[in-house]
Amino acid sequence: MSSTPRPAPAPATATHVLSARAITKSFTIGDRTLDILHGVDLDLARGELVSLMGASGAGKSTFLHILGLLESPTAGEVFIEGHSAWKLPVQERASVRNQKLGFVFQFYHLLSELDAVENVLLPAMILHGRGAYLGKQKALRERARALLVKFGLEHRLEHRPSQLSGGERQRVALARALFLDPPIVIADEPTGNLDSATGEKVLELLLAEQRERNLTLLLVTHDERIARRCQRVVRMADGRVHSDGDERAKE
Amino acid sequence: MYKSFLSWRYLLARRTNWIGIVGIFLGVGAMILILSIMTGFLGETKNAVRGSLSDLVIRPDFRTRIDGSKVVSDPAKVLEVVRADPRVAGASAQLSWFGLFTVKGESEDKDLIFSDAEFSKQSGVRLVGIDVADEFQTSELKQALAREPLHGDTRVGDVEHPFAPPPGYDPPGRKLPSVIVGEQLARNWLLHRGSEIEIFTVPPGVSLEEIGRDTSAASNKAFVVAGTFRTQENEMDLGTIYFERNELSKFLGRKLDFTQVLVRCKDFDRDGTAVRDEVAQKLLAADLLRGTRSMRTGQLTEVNTWEDQKGTLLGAIENERVLMAIMLSLVVLVAAFTIFAILSMMVTEKRRDIGILCALGATPGGIQALFLFIAFWDALLGATAGAIAGTWLALKIDPIEQWLSKSIGVQIFNRDVYLFDHIPAIVDPRAVAIIVLGAFVCTLLFAFVPAWRAGRMHPLDALRHE
Ligand SMILES: Nc1ncnc2c1ncn2[C@@H]1O[C@H](COP(=O)(O)OP(=O)(O)OP(=O)(O)O)[C@@H](O)[C@H]1O
Ligand SMILES: [Mg+2]
Repeated sequence: MSSTPRPAPAPATATHVLSARAITKSFTIGDRTLDILHGVDLDLARGELVSLMGASGAGKSTFLHILGLLESPTAGEVFIEGHSAWKLPVQERASVRNQKLGFVFQFYHLLSELDAVENVLLPAMILHGRGAYLGKQKALRERARALLVKFGLEHRLEHRPSQLSGGERQRVALARALFLDPPIVIADEPTGNLDSATGEKVLELLLAEQRERNLTLLLVTHDERIARRCQRVVRMADGRVHSDGDERAKE
Repeated sequence: MYKSFLSWRYLLARRTNWIGIVGIFLGVGAMILILSIMTGFLGETKNAVRGSLSDLVIRPDFRTRIDGSKVVSDPAKVLEVVRADPRVAGASAQLSWFGLFTVKGESEDKDLIFSDAEFSKQSGVRLVGIDVADEFQTSELKQALAREPLHGDTRVGDVEHPFAPPPGYDPPGRKLPSVIVGEQLARNWLLHRGSEIEIFTVPPGVSLEEIGRDTSAASNKAFVVAGTFRTQENEMDLGTIYFERNELSKFLGRKLDFTQVLVRCKDFDRDGTAVRDEVAQKLLAADLLRGTRSMRTGQLTEVNTWEDQKGTLLGAIENERVLMAIMLSLVVLVAAFTIFAILSMMVTEKRRDIGILCALGATPGGIQALFLFIAFWDALLGATAGAIAGTWLALKIDPIEQWLSKSIGVQIFNRDVYLFDHIPAIVDPRAVAIIVLGAFVCTLLFAFVPAWRAGRMHPLDALRHE
C-alpha cells in the first residue's frame, strides 16, 4: 500500500472547519492505563470528503468521539471553525454539537418513542425553546417531511423506528443529522450494519448530500471501495495517523 | 422544547408511570378525604367539649385577707368594669354551690320504683343562682328553657320569667320559692311542674366538725319545681338546679353573693384573649381580684377563657389532627418513593436515549430537567385528580356512606353512637393546597436523585454498547 508522506501539521486556521491537534487519549481501567491515541493531528477544510480507515481497535471511533465533542481528549485540542471546542463551557459545547456537527452512527440511534418525522425534528427541538419552536413548528415539520420524502421515505413518515427496516432507519438518522444544516458530518461506519445493496443506497444519499450542501464529511469505513470514492483517505494504526492523502491519484 | 415534549412521550409510553400517578392520586385523595372528616369530627368534638361554657369566666379568689376584709363581695363592681369594655356583649353574675336533694314526701315511692343502687334517695346536684335577664345575655339558658323536652312538656310557663310560680301552684299557707331543674333530672325523679323538692347543703364557711356538733348548722329548705330546661349536655341536664341568685344566697345564709362572672364577647375568636387580659388588668387595678397566678404558667388564674379551662383536652384534639396528618403524609411519601423507583428504572432503561440527546446537543441540565419533567407530570396528574376526587368525596361523604351502607347492608356510620346525625366533613382549602403542594415537593425531591444521575451520565457510556 503506497501513500503520500504525512504532511507536517500546520497551525489551525480559520480555513479549516475542523482541526485536531496532538490528540492523545488514554483510558484507565483499574490500575492500568491504556494509551489509545498517541498525538493525532487532522485538518478538514470546508466541503472535504474524507474517509478514515484502519484495523479494528486502531482508535478510529475514539478519535471520532473526541472530534464530535462526545469524549474529552487526555491532551490536545479540537478546533471547530477556529474555536478550541474543549475550552468552551458545557452549554456552548452542547450548542456546537447541536448546530455545527451532525452524527451518523452505525446503529442508527433513533428514539423509539418518536416517529420518523419527530426523530428528524429532535435537533430543532433541542435548539429552540418552547415558544420559538411552536412558532415555527409548521415550517419545521414541513422541512422534515420534505427531507424524508427526498430520502424515499414518503410512506414511512409516521412510522416508529421499530416499524422501519435498517436501511430506512439509517436514512431517518441521516435526515436527522442534516436537519439543522451543520457544516460538518461525522459518520462512524454508517453502512456497517447494512447489507451491501442497502448500504450502497444509503451511501449514495449521503455522498449526494455532501456534494449538494458542500459538507465536510468524515467517514469511518472498512470498505476500500468507499474509500476510493473519497478525495482523501486517512489511515490509522495503533492510535497514530500513518497516511493521509488523495489515493485516487495513485490508481 | 424537547424536555416537555419528550417527557410527555415517555410518560405515555411507559405504563409503569401510571403506577406512580395512581399512587399520588390515592395518597392525595385519601389525605384530603380523611383530613376533612377528621377536621369535621374534631370541630364537633370541640363544640361538645365547650358545652355550655361562656366565653370568659371571672372567678375571684374569695380567700379573705389577713385583715379579715374580703376582696370582693358584691358582683356589681365587677360587672361594671367588664361591661365598660366595648367588645363585651354581656356579663352576668352566678352563684354556684353544691347540694343534695330529695323529693319531698315521696321517699317511700322512690324506694319502690328505683330499687336500683344508682338511684338512691338523694342526689348530688349543682346549685346555680342566676340573674335571669343577665344570664340570657351570656349563656344559652333561654334556648335551653324553650327547647322541647324529650318526654312530655315540663317546660316553664313563661320563658321570660322562668322563676314565676308554676301554673296552678297555689298551696295553702306560704308559697315555696321556685327552681328550674334539668330535664333528665326531672325525668329520673318523676318531677313535674309543681313538684316539691327538698335541698340540703352545707353553707360556705361551715366545717364538717360544726355539723357533727350541731346538725342545724347545715341548711335545709323546700322548693317548688317551676319547670325544666334541656341543654342537650348530659351532665348539665342531669345535675343542675337553677335558682334566683338572691334566693340561693339567702339559702346559703348570705355568706356568698356570687362565685363567678360570665362574660360573652361580641367576637370571641378575634378578641377573646385580648379581652381576658385587659379585663384582668382592670379588675386588678380596681382591687377586685387578688391577682392569684398559676404556679406553673405564671398566668392570672382568676380570669379565663373557655379554652383556658379546657386547654388540655383541646390540645389533645389538635394533637390528634397533627398525628393523623403525619401518618397520612407517609402515604404520599410512599407514592413519591414509587416515582423515585420508576424514574430510576427509566433512567437506566433510557441510557441510550440520553446518549443520543447528548450527541444531538442536549446539555446535562436539559437532560436532568427532562426527567424532572416526567416527575412533574406525574405529580400534576396525580395530585390534581387526587385533590378533585378527595374534595368531592369529602363533600358527598354523607350520601355516599348512606348508599354504601344500603348496598352492602352494613351500617358504616352508626348515627346513634355519635353526638351528630351526619358525618361531619370540613374541606379546608388551605389544607388541600398544602397537601397538593406537599405532594409536588415530595415527588420532585425524590425525582431529583435519578434526574441528577441522568444529567451526569457520560454520553458515550450511554451510547457505546448496543
Ligand atoms: N471506554 C473505554 N475504556 C477502555 N478502553 C476503551 C474504551 N473505549 C475504547 N477503548 C479501547 O480503545 C481501543 C480503540 O477502540 P475504538 O473503538 O476506537 O476502535 P475502532 O478503531 O473504532 O475499532 P472498530 O473498527 O472495531 O470500530 C480498543 O482497544 C478499545 O478496547
Ligand atoms: Mg469503531
